[in-house]
Amino acid sequence: MSDQVKVGNYVLLKDLYYTDSDEYVRIEGDVAVVGITDYAQKKLRDIVGVDLPETNRKVSKGDPVATIESVKAAADILSPLSGEMIEVNDELRASPEIINQDPYNKGWLFKLKILNSNEISELWKWEKYAEKIKGD
Amino acid sequence: MNTTPLIEFEEKLGASTGEFAGWTMPMSYRGYKEEHMAVRNNVALFDISHMGRIIIEGKEEELQYLLAGLVGESSLRMYGPNAFLNDKATFLDDVMVYKLAENRWLIVTNAVNREKVIDWIRRNSSLNVTDATFDYCMLALQGPNSTRLIGNDEMSRLQFKVNVKVFGENVFILSRSGWTGEDGFELILKPDAAHQVMSKMVHEKVELAGLIARDSLRQEMGFVLYGEDIDESTNPVEARYWLYSLEKEFIGREAILSILTSGVSRIRVGFKFERNEKIVPKKDGSITVRDKKIGKITSATYSPFLSRPIGMGYINSTHALFGLKVEHEHRGKKYEVKISDFPLIK
Repeated sequence: MSDQVKVGNYVLLKDLYYTDSDEYVRIEGDVAVVGITDYAQKKLRDIVGVDLPETNRKVSKGDPVATIESVKAAADILSPLSGEMIEVNDELRASPEIINQDPYNKGWLFKLKILNSNEISELWKWEKYAEKIKGD
Repeated sequence: MNTTPLIEFEEKLGASTGEFAGWTMPMSYRGYKEEHMAVRNNVALFDISHMGRIIIEGKEEELQYLLAGLVGESSLRMYGPNAFLNDKATFLDDVMVYKLAENRWLIVTNAVNREKVIDWIRRNSSLNVTDATFDYCMLALQGPNSTRLIGNDEMSRLQFKVNVKVFGENVFILSRSGWTGEDGFELILKPDAAHQVMSKMVHEKVELAGLIARDSLRQEMGFVLYGEDIDESTNPVEARYWLYSLEKEFIGREAILSILTSGVSRIRVGFKFERNEKIVPKKDGSITVRDKKIGKITSATYSPFLSRPIGMGYINSTHALFGLKVEHEHRGKKYEVKISDFPLIK
């Protein structure tokens, strides 16, 4: 179990990378596992649906690749890195509320095979993301 | 910004809060789907302290002239839903009227309209108006098992009692009423008593519910929300909100008679999407037939009971046909929608 930090009501994991648009990235070798942060799922509130990307295609950093629908809003999910879409979390199609229940583990959205590992250094460490959501 | 006096307690109980009509209120606790289904199958407790509570004193004829619907003779009974209309017969507010005694009533308004209504009553009558909103909290216990907790089986729908004890606490008004389509009670009581009642109900394992579930419950029934489905540009005829009583004089009566003669160009209807589509349609989204716009959505949600998106809105009279399959485009994709009558869940 990785180290947790609480910023206000929101949980962060110290071993993840983060983006300004509230995705998290877990690096597992040359694969990036992407989801939305605890902060993002709490802001969206009750999630009712997820539109997941197609696999076996290349995406660029910043591309909108998925959509999350909640009772409050619809959010575009941006790819945090360039890569090849290798897997999506099919369980979310039937039970999108898993994202609310467990955003960092069972609630992951998709996996990318990383194409350009230099981009990882542009992602945020947890301290910087904590600064962003502090006081919100 | 106003805040329910219970907010700190509710946050400790797990409330996720948000803004509604200028009030910070609990939006959800465990999740709106669980809370929604608890109301349909069991029981849940809502804090609805944001609703306006105003005391009216004076001549009954004056109140009858302001309200579109008849206020009856019997005390300790609710008369509503009722409405204040302007002279064009569009909605200033839809309200619930409680007759407390001869020449004394409590009116519950939408939070967003409280000050407007108070001002309008004062300008259009000599009635004495007191804003009691901030003196009290308001709780709603809703669901088929609510009588098990409250007792008071003998009280019929829209009846109420004053100054009674609930869970040992003083309650100003206990009514058999609600806005969810289920049996239930609404309580108007001092903040300290509300805190105690909520605490005791939590101890009894009553599910706490927020305003998101309240919204999805009322949409399944086809109940309107002021500011979404009705406002100062909609009239009761096109809204199919049959709360006016033409047997008396009231502000807006002449306009209603004229609307009845000319007919309406649009009609409020319900929308049902296909099962297992997982979207929440947007307010003001278009409803189309073969790419021609025939109406728009005024409220929508994902129905936990029907497992599909639902909504309501206005359709041109030429196309307001129950059963007609129409379309709605959401984020670049077209969805089939069936025009449906209310309630959507029966």
